[in-house]
Order: sequence, then C-alpha cells, then structure tokens
Amino acid sequence: MKRNYDGCAICNSTWGNVWEEVEGERMFFCCDRCVVQFRGLLRRIEQETRWERIDSIEIAGDRRGRSCRAASGTGEGRFEFAFNSDGEILRFRRVDPPTAPLGRTGAEPS
Amino acid sequence: MGFGRRDYPALAHHLVDRADDSDSDHVRWLNQNLTRRKTEAELLVSPLEEMFALGRESIATWIKARFIAKFYGSSPHPFVVALQHPSRATLLGYVIEHQHFLRQWVRSCAYIMARTDRPEVVHYELDNLTTEFGGLGPDRVSHYELLLRMGESLGVDRARVLGTPPLPATYRAIEQWNEMATREHWVAVLAAMHGLELIANRNLVDEGASVHYFDPAILDGTEIPAAAQAFLREGYEADVEHSDEALALVVRYASELDVVEDVQSVFLRSIDLFDDYLIARLERAGQFEA
Repeated sequence: MKRNYDGCAICNSTWGNVWEEVEGERMFFCCDRCVVQFRGLLRRIEQETRWERIDSIEIAGDRRGRSCRAASGTGEGRFEFAFNSDGEILRFRRVDPPTAPLGRTGAEPS
Repeated sequence: MGFGRRDYPALAHHLVDRADDSDSDHVRWLNQNLTRRKTEAELLVSPLEEMFALGRESIATWIKARFIAKFYGSSPHPFVVALQHPSRATLLGYVIEHQHFLRQWVRSCAYIMARTDRPEVVHYELDNLTTEFGGLGPDRVSHYELLLRMGESLGVDRARVLGTPPLPATYRAIEQWNEMATREHWVAVLAAMHGLELIANRNLVDEGASVHYFDPAILDGTEIPAAAQAFLREGYEADVEHSDEALALVVRYASELDVVEDVQSVFLRSIDLFDDYLIARLERAGQFEA
C-alpha cells in the first residue's frame, strides 16, 4: 500500500516500535492505539466504497481531525475522520464520491 | 513517576524509554508536546526546560497559556466547535457524561479541603461546591441541578441520565482524577481541577483564545431551550471567578510551599484527561444523532 508517511502509518510519528501486518503488508506504528485507528480507518473506507483492497492512502491533518485520499485501482475517494481516545472512529464522512463504480475494484470509469 | 526538581535529563530519559516501549500515553505526550520525530533524550532536555520555564510570568499565566494552546488554539477542541451552536445531541452528550464528572468534582474538592491547612482554601472550596453541587435553595439551584434540567428540557429524564454509566474515556478520566486527588499535593490538585474551569472562562479570548466556549448569542433567543441557556449561563458567569480565584490561590501556595513543578506536571496530566473526556461527550452525542 502506497502511503505518504515514512513514520507511523496514521500520525507519521517515528517514536515507538510496533510492527503489524495490515492487508498483507508489515507496517510501522508508534503505538497500539494507532494500529487500532489505521485498521478501523481502512475497514471503514472499504465498507463505504465496497473496495476489496486499498492501493494507496495519503493522510493529512492532526488529532483534532484528519482527512485522507484513498485509491483502489482507478477508483479514488476523499474522506474526513476523527478518533476517540481508544482509537475507534468517532467521525467519518466521505467528502466526495469515489471515481470508480462502487464494488468494482480497479474498474475503468464508464 | 516523580523526578527531582529540575531534573529534566531524567524526565527526558524516562519519556524516551517509555516511547521505546511504544507506550501509547507517553508517545502521545511526546507527539503533542515536543516532537513527532524520534530524538535522543539529550536533545529533549532543552525543549523540556523551555516548556516548564515560567520566566517572568506567574504559574497562573503558564497554566492559562497551556490551556489555551490545548483547547483554544487555531484548531479548537472539537467539543468546543460543536458547542458554538449546539445540536440537541451535543447538549445531551454533555448532560450524560458531565453528571459523572460533577460527582467526581465533589470528591476531588473534598480531598483538597481534607488535605489543606489553609482556611481560605476551605472557604473557596465550600463556596465552589455549593455553587456546583449543593445549591442555595430553590431560587439558586446548583449547576448539577441545572444540568439535569437541561437534559429534561431536551426530552431525557433524570432517571435515565443518572442511570447511564459513563463511557470508558469518562470512566478512566474520573478514576485518574480521583487517584490524583488522593496522591498529589493539594495545591497541585487545586490547579488540576479548578484550572479546568478555564474552559468556560469568557475572558480567555482576551488572552489569546480563538473562540469562546460557545457563541454567547445562544444565551438569548430560541436556538436552545431556556433550561440549556440557564445551565450554560451559570458557567459563563461563575467560571471566570472560580478559575481566577483558584489560580490566585495556586500562585500563592505553589510558591510558598515550593511545589511549582508538581503543579505543572499534575496540571498537564489533568488537561490530557479533560481532552479525552470532552471527546467522550461527543461520542455520547453520537448516540443521539438521527
């Protein structure tokens, strides 16, 4: 999965030393809370878009509120989200609809 | 964990060691307060010294500056944003979680009274507890009673409010505030608890806060029920005095009893708990959203 962060997958921190396999890839996280956040975020995006996998994700923002651009095949979507103190999703909304038809990962735009 | 006075090298090593263990709370503290980039402990000493330095300012000014930075900076706390023009759900999230907070408030203030030997502090706490919890008869009911009435005005009766357990984040915060009150110096607890009343201190905008706790315009008109206006107005009018008076006591006794650094570290812990607790209000609000 292509990401814009070189540190923790969710917050880009380079503190900590947690390595977890997420969607078949070993990823670095600064703490367990960020693992919960990242897994929950991917799950929510996949539920929302019905994508079977996410090829890339670019995250921006901070703990007060984040946004991301995610892509799967030729499909793309933008989302805003925030977490509670346990790392669970508190707020989530799609900012614009994915460009690919829902449920057809990698489908060409019709 | 306690450290010797001004022993910032030991504090820096402790933070780095705990972060190396991927401890979420320590990593979060480093991320939010110092840097998100892993750094040698030696390089954190100077930023820590700067963070805790009072310079020519009083401890009250330091506390206000930290509070504003955390809750009222360029990106205010999400609960504050939601409260500017609150929905029914936001106000109910407030009601249900806050009644747990206020019950802990009584315990924390009681610990301060039990552990101080200064009559003026006891008088301050008695007055605060009367306003917040006891009330002065039917014409001047407590803030706690106003909170329950706000819930009723929004269609949730007090039996349901009182019978709803706190969300996990609220529960954890309350537990830690209680432990803080039993273990820490009473001056530090005074700062840690009454410093939180800065949230509704309308004068903070004169000291750099980006917004008020809520848009004062909602105290008039019909945007929110009269009972919600009464609850918010009480804090709006009382918390300037509550927080300023408490901070004046902190300034005096932190210096006199030589506990300035204890006050600082306990206050920082308390506002981290408060941050999570305010998020819990929003989480509860989510349960009332259509």
